[in-house]
Parts: sequence; C-alpha cells; structure tokens
Amino acid sequence: MNKEKFNIVGKPVVRQDGYSKVTGKAKYADDYQFDGELYGIMVRTNVSHAIIKGIDFSSIENHPSITAIITHLDIGGSKKVGPIKQDQPIFCFEKIVTPGDVVAMLVGENEVVLKELAKKVKIDLEELPVLEDTSTALASDSILIHPQYNSNLITHYPLRRGNVEKGFKQSDEIIEQTYTTQLIEHAYIEPECVTAIPGEGNIRIKIIGSIQNPFTTRRVVASVLSCGLNEVEVIQAELGGSFGGKDDTMNILSARAAVAALKLNRPVKIKYDREESIIESYKRHPYILNYKIGFNKDGKIKAMKIDLLADGGAYSSMSPFVTWRSVVQATGPYQVPNVYTDVRVVYTNNPYTGAMRGFGSPQPIFAIESMMDEIALKVGKTPFEIRKINGFKQGSVTASGQKLSGHEVTLHKVLKKATDVSSFNKKWNENKNSAQRVDDSPKSFMNESLVLKKNDFIPPDNLWKKGIGLALSYRGCSLGAEGIDAAATYVSIQPDGTVYLLSGLAENGQGLKTTFSIVAAEVLGISPEKIIYLEPNTSRVPDSGPTVASRATLMGGGATKNACEELKNRLSKILLKEWKLKSASDLIFANGIVVYKGKRPKKISFDELIKTAYSKGVNLSTIGWYSGPKVHWEEETGHGSAYFTYVYGCQVAEVSVNVGTGEVYINNIWAVHDAGKVINLLGAEGQIYGGTTQGAGYGLWEKISTHNGKIRENNFDQFLIPTSKDIDAIHPFFVEGKDKFGAWGGKSLGEPTLELTAAAIANAITNATGKRFFNLPINIEELLLRKKLYPESLKRGSTS
Amino acid sequence: MIPVKEILLPETVDEVCRLLQDTNGLSKIIAGGTDIIPGFHIESPRFVNIERLIDINNIDELKSVSVTEDYISIGSAISFSEIISNPVINEKLPLLVKASRTIGSTQIRNRATLGGNFINNAPCADSVAPLLVYDAEIKIKSIAAEKIMKLQDFLVKPYRTRLMSDEIVTQIIVPNPPAKLIGDFYKLGRRRAVSISRISLAILLDVNNGFINEMRIASGAVTPIGTRFYDVEEFFKGRILDDELIKDIAIKLGERIMEVSGVRWSSEYKIPVVQQVCYQLIKGIERRSL
Amino acid sequence: MKISFVLNSQNMSIEIEPNIRLLDLLRDKFNLTGTKEGCSIGECGACTVIMNGKAVNSCLVLAGQCYGAEIITIEGIEKDGKLHPLQENFLKSGAVQCGFCSPGMIMSAYALLLKNPNPTEEEIKDAIAGNLCRCTGYKQIIDAVEKTAKEI
Repeated sequence: MNKEKFNIVGKPVVRQDGYSKVTGKAKYADDYQFDGELYGIMVRTNVSHAIIKGIDFSSIENHPSITAIITHLDIGGSKKVGPIKQDQPIFCFEKIVTPGDVVAMLVGENEVVLKELAKKVKIDLEELPVLEDTSTALASDSILIHPQYNSNLITHYPLRRGNVEKGFKQSDEIIEQTYTTQLIEHAYIEPECVTAIPGEGNIRIKIIGSIQNPFTTRRVVASVLSCGLNEVEVIQAELGGSFGGKDDTMNILSARAAVAALKLNRPVKIKYDREESIIESYKRHPYILNYKIGFNKDGKIKAMKIDLLADGGAYSSMSPFVTWRSVVQATGPYQVPNVYTDVRVVYTNNPYTGAMRGFGSPQPIFAIESMMDEIALKVGKTPFEIRKINGFKQGSVTASGQKLSGHEVTLHKVLKKATDVSSFNKKWNENKNSAQRVDDSPKSFMNESLVLKKNDFIPPDNLWKKGIGLALSYRGCSLGAEGIDAAATYVSIQPDGTVYLLSGLAENGQGLKTTFSIVAAEVLGISPEKIIYLEPNTSRVPDSGPTVASRATLMGGGATKNACEELKNRLSKILLKEWKLKSASDLIFANGIVVYKGKRPKKISFDELIKTAYSKGVNLSTIGWYSGPKVHWEEETGHGSAYFTYVYGCQVAEVSVNVGTGEVYINNIWAVHDAGKVINLLGAEGQIYGGTTQGAGYGLWEKISTHNGKIRENNFDQFLIPTSKDIDAIHPFFVEGKDKFGAWGGKSLGEPTLELTAAAIANAITNATGKRFFNLPINIEELLLRKKLYPESLKRGSTS
Repeated sequence: MIPVKEILLPETVDEVCRLLQDTNGLSKIIAGGTDIIPGFHIESPRFVNIERLIDINNIDELKSVSVTEDYISIGSAISFSEIISNPVINEKLPLLVKASRTIGSTQIRNRATLGGNFINNAPCADSVAPLLVYDAEIKIKSIAAEKIMKLQDFLVKPYRTRLMSDEIVTQIIVPNPPAKLIGDFYKLGRRRAVSISRISLAILLDVNNGFINEMRIASGAVTPIGTRFYDVEEFFKGRILDDELIKDIAIKLGERIMEVSGVRWSSEYKIPVVQQVCYQLIKGIERRSL
Repeated sequence: MKISFVLNSQNMSIEIEPNIRLLDLLRDKFNLTGTKEGCSIGECGACTVIMNGKAVNSCLVLAGQCYGAEIITIEGIEKDGKLHPLQENFLKSGAVQCGFCSPGMIMSAYALLLKNPNPTEEEIKDAIAGNLCRCTGYKQIIDAVEKTAKEI
C-alpha cells in the first residue's frame, strides 16, 4: 500500500492557481463583465411566514429603469427545486416561508435604482404564525410549512443496536445531559455572484459564477429551463471560498439569471452584497442533543440513548444527508454494545440549513466529547484514559454494525500522539486542581441587584485560568450510503511533454488543482510545473458528483492516478518494444526521465519519449475513472456499512479563560490527523490551520440569532469570525494510516480539521473553570452566566 | 445607496463655515468616512438625505497637534494612526493612545478621526472615556462665532450632540494633565481585534501617601453615552486607597451605572463585569503608584 | 466631478460621479478587479489598497476624496514582470487558498513593511487583523510576511 518512495507527493508544492491569485489576475465571478449585461435585483417581503395573495407591480412596471420583471410565470420547467425534496421555489408563488424568500427579480441596467424600486412592489400577504422552534413545529397540531407534506418532519433516522434498557440496568452509573449548538454562517469572504449568458449555437445558456458544484448547478438550471443537460454549460469562476455554502443558493441564483437572460436575450448578472448573502443563503444546522450514557466504574460504556433534533429551517436542502452523517457518527469513535439513537430534522420558518464543512458531525462531537470528559471525571480517570478504554481498535464494530477493516484504524495512534505532543495528562491534572479552587470561591453574579458583593471580586492575579481539553473522532470518507460515488479526471499529454489536466470535481480554494497535479506529476515522473489545470467546465469533463464530503483527494486523486497510470502503461509499452524488455515494472518514471535499471541500463527523457509516442500514433489522452465500493444502509434499523473507509483525528486545545470577564484566549491547538497519505503538504497543513480556526470560531464567537425567523447578525460587524489575533498557535501533525483506496491511500482532511475544535475548546474551558458548558458558542455571557443574552430571550439547553 | 451629488474640498475652516451656511440640512462634513460611508450602505436614517459632503482632510489646521504650557490642542480631523504615532500625545495622554489602538483595524485607524469618533455620539466610541477623564473641551466654529465647550456637555444623548448644522468642531483641547495623575484604559470586546466595545472604562488616579488626592472615572458602551462619574469621584476623595476601598469604588460605580442605564437585556452581564473591570484597573494603577 | 491622482505610479485624470467609492473607481472605471468587495462596511479588508502610503479600505473612501492621492493596488506591486517578494512568499508559504482575501491581505502587509521593515509577529498580526480570511487560519500568511521581512 504505502511502500512507494515519492518524489513529489508529500513535499511542498506551489499552487497551480497561486500566481494569478497573488497578482489580482484571478477572475472571480464578479470580475467578469459582458457586453450588454443587465443586473437582477431581488424582491423580498419582510415577513417570515405568509400566504401570497397577490403581487402588484403597477407602481414600478413602467419605470424606464426596468427592462423586465421576472417571476415564477417566466419559468417553463421546474418551479421548485431541491437536492432531495423539491420544496424550494426559484420564485415564491404560493407562500413565504422564511425572510430570505424571493418573489420576483427586477432586471435592468442600474442596480442602485432597481434596489429602490424593489422596495415599492406591493405584495398582498396573509400572515401565518411563525414557527421558530423545532419542538413547536413537530407538535401534531402545528401548522404545516409545506402543506404538500403531511408533517413538518423532514427526516427521521433511527439506529438500534442491542438492548439499551438492559444496558442501562447493567451500568454502574448513568449520566444524562442536553447540549445545544447554534446556527452559523459559512462566511466565505466572496459573496454570491453569477452571470447567465444566452448561448451560441446549440448551447442554450452559459453560466459563469461562484459555484461550488457546477454539475449540480447544471442539473438545476436544465430542470428549470426544461432542457437537456448538454444545452447548459456551467463554468466555475475562481471561487472565493465555499465550505459547503455555494451549492443550493448558487443553483437557484443561476436558474434565476438563466430564466431572465433567455427571456431578454442578454447576459444577466446577480451579485449579492454581504447582507443579502447572509439573509438568503443556507447555514449550519442548530441541534438540540440529548445523551443518556450508562457506564461502569471502570469507565467502560454499556449503553447510549441519543436523541438529536436538528432545525432544518424553511427548506429541506441537504438536511436528510447532513443528519444521516449524524446518526452514523453520533456515538463517537467508541465501542458501545447497546445504542438507541433517533435523529430528526424539522421544518421551521428560520433560515434554512444545509451543507457546511463538517456536515452533521461538529454538533454530536461537541456533545459526545463533553460527555466523555464528564464520564472520566465521574470514574476518576483522565480524558485520555476514558477514550483509551472505549475507543475503536482495528476490527471494532461501529454502532451501525460495520466492522472497521480494510484500512488502518489509527484512533489510538492519533490520541497518543496528540496527548504526547501537548503534555496533555500532566497539564490537565494541574489545571483541574487549580480550577477546583476557583469554583469553590463564592462568586456569583446572579443576585437581584446585579451589584457585586465584596467577596465576589477576583484579584487581578487570579483572573486568568489555564485549561486543556481534547476531542477525538472518526469520520466516514466521501458520500457513503448517501449516493453514487465516482469521479473522473481527464489527462492529456501534449507533443512537447506538457500536460493538461481537468477533473470533474471543483476547485473551491482547498487546492484540488494542485493536489491532482501532484498525483499526475508523481505517476508520470515529471515536474508539477509542466501541468496546466484547465478551466472547470461541465461540457468538457464527465460529471463527477459534487465536491463535498472531503471526497476530492480520495475520489479525484484516485481518478487522476488511474488516468496517469493508463498513460504511463501506454508509454511503457513503447519502451518495452524499443528496449526489448520483458516487464514494465523495472521502468522508473522520475524527474522528467524514464530509466530502466536492468543489466544494461537505459534512459530516455520524458519529452523525448512523448515525441516518440506521437510519432507512433499513440493516444496520450484519457479519462481516468474512480468509483468507490458499494456501501449500504437499512433505514429502519440504522444498520449497514455506512462508508467504505474512515479517517481519525484528535485535537487538543489549550486556553486561557478570564474568569472575571468571560473572555477566552486560545493559546495552542495541537491537531493530529490521519488523512491517509498526505499528497499536498502545504495544502494539508493549510487545511488544518484553516479548519481549526473555523472550528474555534464555532466554539467561541460565531452565531446567527433569529427573532421571528429574522436574522440579527447580517454582516461581519456582528457575525464575528476569527481574526489574525484570536489564536496564538496551531500545531499540525499527520499520522499516515495505511489504506488501499484513492491515490496511495490519500483520504479526507478538510472536514475532520473543523469538527473537533469546538469540542476540544469546550473541554479545555471546563478544565480551566471546573464548570461544564452545554451551549455553543461559549461566548463571554455563556461563560459567566451559562446563558446567552439577546434582546429577546431564547430557550437553551441544560443550565446546570 | 450613496445619495451624494457633490463633494466639496475646502482648504480653510472659514470656507467650511461658509459652505455650512448654505444648507437645508443636506450638507455634512466628512473626514475619514468610516461612519458615514457604511452608514450609506446600511441606509442609516442618519444619512439618507445627504446630498453634499464637505471633505475636511485638506485643512492643515484640523490635522495639527500643538502644545502650550496649559493645553494640548488636537485637530479634530487627526486620524487614530496619527494619534498613536504622535510623541506628544503618547507622553501626555497615554489613555487616549491606548484607546486609539483598540479602535477598528489598521485600515480603519488610518482613516477614522478623533472628531468623527464622538461627533455622532455613538455609545461605543472608544476615545470618549479617555477624553472625558482628561477633561477634554472642544472648540466649535461657525461663521458667526467660536465657542469652547466641555465634551461632556457637548454629548447630549445617543446619536445627539449640541452641534448645530452650521457648526464644525475644529479642535479637541485637553488641559495638560498633572504628572501625578496616572491611569489606565480597558476595553472589552468579543474578539481580540476589530471589535465593538461591550465595555470601556478609563480611570485616572492621583494617590498621595496612600490617600486619594484625585480620581477620575469615565465609561463607554456600558452607559447610554460616554459618562463621567463626578459624584463617585468626589465621594472617595481623601480616603485611604486599599483593597477594601477599591471594592467600594467598584460597587459604587456599578450602582451609579445601574441608575444611569437602567436594566437592559445586557445588564446581567455588563454590570457585574464593569465592576470587576473597575476593581482590576484600580488595583493595577495602585501597584504602579507604589 | 473631475479628479486627478496617481494610480500605480501613473498620473490619472478622470471625470467621476460624486457618489462612487474608490473601490468602484478601481474596479469599474480602471478594470483593476484585483481589489475585491466582501462586506461594503470596512470589516473584511478584501478591498484594501494603499492610499498615500497607508492601508485603507477602498469601500470606505469616496472616489471624490482621492484628489492628489497616490493609490497602489495589487496590480501595481509586480515590477517588470517580477513578483514582489511578498507575492513570492505568499506562494511559497501556502498563504493562499481561495485567494479572495489575498490581494487585500498582501496590500496590508505591503503597507506594514513600508513603515516597519522588521515587524514582530504581533505587529504582523495587528497589521492584518482587519483582513478576514476564512480559509487559511492566517498562520501561513504570517509566515509569508515574516519571510519577506527577513529578505528585504
């Protein structure tokens, strides 16, 4: 598996798209301009839930700045779309179900004037009660948000293993706690932008935009236009961040632009500002997580009863897939003989929720990893020991009954490495002892007058408390039983030895172009600089599914390797004949030279070999294909082989907590990940730095709060993501577990880096303060008061 | 939407005053623009009708810092970056420098001006608490007159000041603080950088042989507008500064802030924390004055 | 109104509407699209350019305020087809992912090195605190600026 020696894989390589990005030449969606282009401006209401009785454009329809008003009446094909349930209208025509909803689009040359005109559209609405809360929405007498379905329940996943009641009876101790997590925004720095250009020749429409998944966009646009997939060409502009966020929203914006462009036969651009982006785009699911865990005095877990309730918001989007990952991974990377899990996701009138880096894992990880520390404290063990006792080993069986085999189960390796490099056990014990003293001190802000008593004051030298915490996870790679899992890469060697490369997966900034170039360069034995990655375009390369689920390196890496190996075989055949050799295995492609190391050594430069191949009429272009093995899932019981392979990770966070003000400062994060073989070292380290930073934001600052479904934090002055000053040091480490899948066993990293950080920070804060925190984010108010403060109160999880 | 139809670039204060005369409330002075321009973007009602902007960045008088034996005079259009790098202000008004460092980002501090920070009287203006403890006064000019007013008197209520539509604030005048006064400034934000104040507090203290000779306290963000607490200051004058007294001061301050602000959704957090912050600030000053 | 200013070392004179921002002037009138718009309120720093030697958010400066100013954008720091050392080091350090913040980030670092050729790590963090990056976690960006300071 990993026996090979590598020339390029695992070494720092400059990005394919780096030069254009550091010079400002890279073209993002809004950097394109087209002759005669018009702008599309959205018409929204200011309600969260209502029946649309009528829309009156009479006050504006004759205004000279309006070229056209586009509504659902202009749509010839699907009026509603969605990846799983088609519940989201391109333009609303029956109901308003959330404040981001759009009823029409004004098209014209002057966006400023159009924005003013959009406010003047009269929409006749019959307002309905606003469902803000998941439990209310689930009540049997609740009003239905989408009346075509008979319930506000989007999906329910059960998982049953063993006998949980028996398991609790056999347990020495039982802990039951409720945790909650918040709604957050992806906060890609580039807001959404797309232009639809009426096509030439047989292509009906061309779309260029900030699109995460061009093939999904193509499917949605073709369905809305009611035309063939081959009539829609989607080109991904340079993408200014996505993190799962430029999928559904971009598909819908593309469809709106396409409908308008075809109606007017002119290019139509839609460009959101930050406020519109936050109001309309989907977000991460808030969860309410109830865990009841039975365990013995030796720390061994006997049973878990888990109830997860996710807020899907107004549209189903990817909710069924997001929550499916939660049901698979809810028990954490632990051996639990008796499990009874229910995961439900519900429609509300809140902003809708969908895919976001982590995808249904950061929420249960926060709960389960907090509980593991609670169990450790209860049985007098360290967080390290409790995980060592219960953690998956090679051949362990997961909650869904899948035996972990076929890859190296490195859970204990990552746990040991992370705790070693951070001196975890020593620090944890020291902090725990000093935290106890603080907690004993009679400090209570909660008195009627809010005025402190003399013994409430904390001496300046005792203000900052250190804490260290860890979190551990396993994660299924790629789509799993969510869907068909295959990807393609096109490789073409040119007569001078330079190479074109194009994958059906999309560059989202993560560095996929570079990673695939490294794979190709390694196999062909050339420098990555000889490879040019082509403009991503749906009409040039096969549909490879979405670029999600940390699957690009695994699937696309596999496809690229297959393609290059096919070409290498063709080249080897030429040499076998020329040099009269028996086996190609003695040929080494490296450093731009092909060498035969036999009795009579021979060599030829790669470029020379390519010339020869061309002179002999050998085809040096191919499409490599990689498909994952079959996996299955039984919906009724939650049994099955959810994913074909897994990755493991452990993060340790060290924090300083100001017990007087509630401020938390992150001193260190040690992030140890088994992503399999590391292909692109700079990129992999970048994933760790970036993912943990996002995870820290999730843990401490980021939140989108709503009132009557409406968002309070609609720009970066209120939605606070980490700056350069908020984290002191992040230390990345890789444990390269062996695997047979992908390119040399290169697997998933993007999401594992994010999912652990908030949980590790929460445990570190507990270590510092001696108190458990149940609700993310652990912001200054949560830390001191164990609750959130808003202009309106919102009910949260456990308070003690 | 930016409603501006005209930008004027006067080179003297007199010219500004003349331009301000000719107005129906449609003109506004702009310096750094870090309040006005985002205000246009969010369609703040404060700026919807502005058609004429009078840019004062070209006026040397408004950019200069001068010192006499009694006063430091700071031009209202000086940027926070200029304040941070100005040696005189660093020497005489360290709390103002400390507060300036916490404002926005480098980019914001390069544009935002001292005058612009308080002219809109936003509760979270970070320079206000230091200016108040330094007893800052401001010079206001119009075509008809020139007047000097205490900053505390200028600030009326949130987003409301005594500035008339034909007036410009030209100078911030700070009496040279006695060398015996030492102090500190604290800002609490949700993040370590580019953060809106949740609480800000400025304290100056002169301790003589363990007795409080003089104390000055001002708050921002935790009160509806930047507020000086003269009564608290007076109450503790002449008392022996020890741990007990520092707690008494903090408690008294908390009570006063409650009276000034009333109970708000954020009080449950802010009131206890501002007392703790007050306690630790004075403890720190006490150590330095020993 | 008509304004004259220096843009990437070239004298420029242009008739503009008074209600456009420096950001609009650069992107729409001069097609310098390396300067990005991320939030429109001066919070994200994607639109950072150098104005008279200092980093500013070009979304918070009106074009009409740029009379006589010297403006440098990301397009103006590459000299004679050779990358500025900051750009080189951004590439070598892995400081770029999606790249949307990179032009603004590089301009903030450029302004820092103009006035402080030997910044500490804290000073670097301070200089780029107004430039939000959602991809990189900042570490490799800080590395790139440190390396550049050592080189020049």
